[in-house]
Amino acid sequence: MVSTRGRRSPGHGEKNIEAESRAQGLSTGWEVFSYLIAGMAAYGGIGWLIGHFTHISLLFPIGMMVGLGISVGWVIYRYGRGMNGELDGGYGHGNKRGDDR
Amino acid sequence: MTGDVVAAGSDGCHLFSGCGFPAPGLQDFNFRPLFTIGSFHFTKPMLVTILCAIAVIAFFWAAFSKPKVVPGKLQSLGELGVLAVRDQILRPSMGRRGDKYLGFHVSLFFFIFLTNLMELIPVIQFPAMSRISFVVPMALTVYVTYLYLGFKNQGAWGYIANMWPRGVPWPIYIILIPVELLRFFFIQPFTLGIRLFANMFAGHLLLAIFMVATWYLASISIGLLFAVGSAAMVIFVFLLELLVDLLQAFIFTTLTATYIATSLEAQH
Repeated sequence: MVSTRGRRSPGHGEKNIEAESRAQGLSTGWEVFSYLIAGMAAYGGIGWLIGHFTHISLLFPIGMMVGLGISVGWVIYRYGRGMNGELDGGYGHGNKRGDDR
Repeated sequence: MTGDVVAAGSDGCHLFSGCGFPAPGLQDFNFRPLFTIGSFHFTKPMLVTILCAIAVIAFFWAAFSKPKVVPGKLQSLGELGVLAVRDQILRPSMGRRGDKYLGFHVSLFFFIFLTNLMELIPVIQFPAMSRISFVVPMALTVYVTYLYLGFKNQGAWGYIANMWPRGVPWPIYIILIPVELLRFFFIQPFTLGIRLFANMFAGHLLLAIFMVATWYLASISIGLLFAVGSAAMVIFVFLLELLVDLLQAFIFTTLTATYIATSLEAQH
């Protein structure tokens, strides 16, 4: 393939900043979505497992609600604070990216 | 399009002709095998996928096999595509060190985009990504790639340890362990694949519904008015799907770049 190293498309500087924030926004959005699903699935699973042995079927939905609560709390702590600029390291994956650009 | 769409056309099934609306459904995603080898059935979506892969390889081969300093039309078009992926997807997520993964991302983007576009091409009219079996191998490829790169660059323990955010009280860590593990190892690759699948599935179904409805309502009756409305919806959904096809390829590739970026360096 032809090397594209060093070549720039028109309006590179401003567009790249826009593209960076778009990529970060996209990544953050799906991370938040993943947290919400993971919280419900993880604690719903734990609730179901305990309920299976204790024969208390209510533990499954309770676990899911607890998981959702944990996820929502964590998302607010991690991403909400980042938006106010109070927690610089709040954003997760890819936070330090771009240091060699 | 298959099944009921063909049936509706060939049988002359219209409003007030005594037959019910042949609503498209899951049956439109199943195809009769083109040929069979033992228990292996070769179907239309497989053929479309292979043709798309060959088309992408052939295009970039033709564009870059004999590169010139002053590029020709094909090379210019190829460079435009490569630069678009590099500047809009790869570098915003990974910086310059992501350039060595440019080939992977360019292939991924154009393969998904072309495969998605097949839903809008007459005769073919089917996006292979609306079948989960075509999406899962791609999501798994990305998953294995970023896990491998993460273990290679940060070490197995380092990679897992680096997933955890800093500056959080230790009781919170214990609460978050199952959430983080599940999210990283299962939900993340799951959402990567399921989003592409669901969008293509829904888009194809929408197009099929309005196309069948247009044909079904087209009769010398009041139904003709609704047929015109349905035909307008076909055009609208067609244009919408054009955007969705591009957007889904873009999102899949951008998230892939982001996940690989996390494998190359620790998060804090």
